[in-house]
Amino acid sequence: MFGYVRPVLDRLSPEEKTRFQGVYCGLCHTLGKRFGWSARLFLNYDLAFLAMLLEKEPCSCCRKSCMVHPICKRPCANETSALEAAADLSVILTWWQVQDGIADHGFFGGLKYRAALLLLRRAYQKARDNRPDFDGHTQKCLQELATLEKEHCASVDAVADTFARLLAGAANGEDDGTRRRVLEQMLYHLGRWIYLADAADDLKQDLKSGSYNPLPLRYALVGDTLSQESRQELASTMDQSIRVMAAAFELMDYGDYSAIIESVVYEGLYVVGSAVLDGTFRKRKKKEKKPNERRYANA
Amino acid sequence: MRDPYQVLGVPSTATDEEVKKAYRNLARKYHPDNYHDNPLADLAQERMKEINEAYETIQSQRKGNSGTGSGYSQSYTYGYQQGYSGSAAMQRVRMAIQRGELNLADELLNAQSDHDAEWNFLKGVICMRRGWMDEAKRYYQTAVQMEPGNSEYQRALDLAEGRQTGYRPERYGSVSTGNCDSSMCLRICSIWACCSLLSGGGGYLFCC
Repeated sequence: MFGYVRPVLDRLSPEEKTRFQGVYCGLCHTLGKRFGWSARLFLNYDLAFLAMLLEKEPCSCCRKSCMVHPICKRPCANETSALEAAADLSVILTWWQVQDGIADHGFFGGLKYRAALLLLRRAYQKARDNRPDFDGHTQKCLQELATLEKEHCASVDAVADTFARLLAGAANGEDDGTRRRVLEQMLYHLGRWIYLADAADDLKQDLKSGSYNPLPLRYALVGDTLSQESRQELASTMDQSIRVMAAAFELMDYGDYSAIIESVVYEGLYVVGSAVLDGTFRKRKKKEKKPNERRYANA
Repeated sequence: MRDPYQVLGVPSTATDEEVKKAYRNLARKYHPDNYHDNPLADLAQERMKEINEAYETIQSQRKGNSGTGSGYSQSYTYGYQQGYSGSAAMQRVRMAIQRGELNLADELLNAQSDHDAEWNFLKGVICMRRGWMDEAKRYYQTAVQMEPGNSEYQRALDLAEGRQTGYRPERYGSVSTGNCDSSMCLRICSIWACCSLLSGGGGYLFCC
């Protein structure tokens, strides 16, 4: 479900790019330190974005090497409470998503999810003990989502709401009332946007496999894609969420990460959303993998 | 009170023109239209008040010193156009929405049997505040269809359909989902080219 939230790197200065890379590597190192190597496999951009939103301290970077970069050291943000929180939430979210994957697939299809569960079990237990409230909240929201899916709910707002509330729960650790309100609003609409983007991204596959997807129930289809008109309507409601995020963004100070978050809410989400609705997001993902795999094989 | 120049984000040596530009930019940013039916509107309103006060302070300081400046009259004011209701029941719903008691407002509406234009409009407002944008838009559409001349309903629908795109920082051009030009698509490629260096699935594919 994750991987949609990306800044537009063109918009960032070299220092900001380094900071972004630093958060990404910092989150990875934090995951490793707290939960062991297996949790690092599930690292993604969206959680790095969450870490930047939660961060209150100024960015401090060092250079570290790791298994993946044994020779060249990479910029890496020092561990802060925001990174720790993002790491815990990341493990909890991944755990429940994997559980969901098992429920959705048959025995053989679910094997890789079962393998992931085995890898993650200890990490999850630790993360759950660290943040029992978030764990309970996530479970509750996903149960509500499953119920709506079973009922074949035709309201995109209602289904997206469950995932949006789930993500908004990440703001609960914030003590300052105003900051919490702003974060809740940003995360709610981030969750809503991610849910809709994911539904659009999975549409073809869901139609083929007969899995639940709210889009065909709400919008008109032509063959296995959205009609031009419905695509515009979906785009407009996704844009609304991005605009609310931008409006909330302007009400809080994000310190050193402001420029990166700004480029996400004023451009990155629109660009990724356009690619998802065009159907080019998945294709690019596949294309992007190939040269990397080759590089890995050579290494 | 905070330093007015700091509030506007300009140095105290800035020219009148620069001060005005900074003020205008901030006023566009926190404009009520950007926070229409938004649960954070009160925070934006506070910001707006602070900006107005800072601008007025600078204006009056400079007026006193050099006799230039254009006075307070250009300050943007923040205020919601308060709609009027035909019935006492609807007025109660509006009051509940104003206080942020959305569940109560929704219950009051659900108890009504007459689903007229205002009923649909208020349903839309509740959805909008909850972040249920798609349903909000549909309620607003019904309200406008039932009472085409009502400017309050029309304005809500225009905002919900994104006809006014709202504030964007100057360096970001106008962009919306499904509507990006070819230079934008080039930029996508560059995002992915750079990002795949950064990530690639689980982070193993990093290469130095």
